[in-house]
Amino acid sequence: MNQFGHVIKEIFRNLYKNPGTSLSAILSMTLLFLLFDLFWIAADTSDKFYENYLSDLQMEVFISEEYPDSALTILKNEMKNIEGISSFVFISKEIARSKLADLVGVDLLVGYDSLNPLPESFVLTFHNDVLNSADLADIENQIVAQKSVSHVYYSKNWLAKAESTKNIITDVGLLLGILIFFTVLVSSANNMRLTAKTRAVGFYQMRLLGAGKLLLAMPFIIEGILLGALSAGIGWGMIFYWKDKIQFSNFEIMFPTLEELGLYCLAAGLLGLISGYVGIRRLLRL
Amino acid sequence: MSDKTIVELTNVYLKTHRGHEVFKDLNFKLLSGESAIIYGPASSGKSTLIELLIGKRFADSGSTEMFGSLLRPNKKRLIKSVRRKIGGIGGLFSLVPTYTVAENITLPLVLAGERKRFQKERLMAMLAEFSLLNQANVYPEMLTRVENTLVQFARANVAHQPLILIDEPLAGMDPKTYERIYEFMSKLAISGLSLVIVSSEELKSHLPNTSSYHLSNGGLS
Repeated sequence: MNQFGHVIKEIFRNLYKNPGTSLSAILSMTLLFLLFDLFWIAADTSDKFYENYLSDLQMEVFISEEYPDSALTILKNEMKNIEGISSFVFISKEIARSKLADLVGVDLLVGYDSLNPLPESFVLTFHNDVLNSADLADIENQIVAQKSVSHVYYSKNWLAKAESTKNIITDVGLLLGILIFFTVLVSSANNMRLTAKTRAVGFYQMRLLGAGKLLLAMPFIIEGILLGALSAGIGWGMIFYWKDKIQFSNFEIMFPTLEELGLYCLAAGLLGLISGYVGIRRLLRL
Repeated sequence: MSDKTIVELTNVYLKTHRGHEVFKDLNFKLLSGESAIIYGPASSGKSTLIELLIGKRFADSGSTEMFGSLLRPNKKRLIKSVRRKIGGIGGLFSLVPTYTVAENITLPLVLAGERKRFQKERLMAMLAEFSLLNQANVYPEMLTRVENTLVQFARANVAHQPLILIDEPLAGMDPKTYERIYEFMSKLAISGLSLVIVSSEELKSHLPNTSSYHLSNGGLS
């Protein structure tokens, strides 16, 4: 048996001699990863939901009555120069009246054709990259600076709330990620330590016979990688098994791409590698 | 037999962390093919001497040279290679409990990266030489004390290690076992290997090709 064979044999020996420890490591890590996976899906889904709503966001720019029609041309030119506006549509008094009639179900201005009090306006839509409070506020300021504009309306409060919710979700996700990272690290390292402790006498003897640290640590490191990646894989396996069984009609559940999943399992394996090394580190001293 | 020095301790001074002086001015030299038996009472530093030779402890002053290289705490790679040239029996050395007899015996060959075929050949030779053929797949906990010691002998000899350290080899052994172990040690001593044996009990008869020393008051005489 060469050293590679020795390492492989040691991995199986660890798993065979300590099935309880390995199983508990896999189960606890799977549970934690699953928690993180579900949060990941929830965050992605809410992100998509938020994006869909935002893409429909419009800004209404109302025109002052006292300015002549020529002011509209100037305003149009100004708006063309403002970065982030993807389109604007002019709403005349007549169109506004017709829209109001559509909305209410009856034309409230019958008989008052010449006295239509509804203002003229522009409805603006935006590029995705400016669909946030700060950029829209900036655009609003540029528009309001025009003399012909009486006021501007868009769902400012809703946007602020949605952004704050999104930030909270991101912060919770980050915190959860960090918590899970350390929990997995500590729990997995302790499992490794338990496995390694049962073999402390063997390690000591092997060190006395001239075994290198790497040779002794390698089975535990590889085992850590395997357990980490396997736990992450099992978590996603469970989610994908149930994926088709649960569907919502009003929004689409977002799942990570295969590439992201691959990277995620790789990261879980890396976490397992660190756990394996941390678990065995103390026992390698001699 | 070459006159290459394989062990050289020069003016070794060592005290424990409690301040007890284990070695005051210890000098010891062993040439390749020579053997030494070091007698000393309990707590005289016999096992500490073994620890010095395998680079597990280091002198506070003086030097430990093994196979011509000076052992220092920071020379991890050197210590590893020195340990691979040493076979150990008793004291610090024991069998790996989770390995079978065969796995224990071949361990030095695995660590040396020897080929599988060679490992098998050497294993069979050792099992035959130490009458352990029936115990090859047995775990250490199933072995008798004698068998355990014999497996350690086999392990210490399997990779043709040039130096074998033996700690209290015959302590508390019945006459029959004593004879058997003594016979193996004699065999090794005349085979051209170097043995360093530490013992608190005087051997009943002198080992061939072996010098005797007494460890007392932190020095050898």
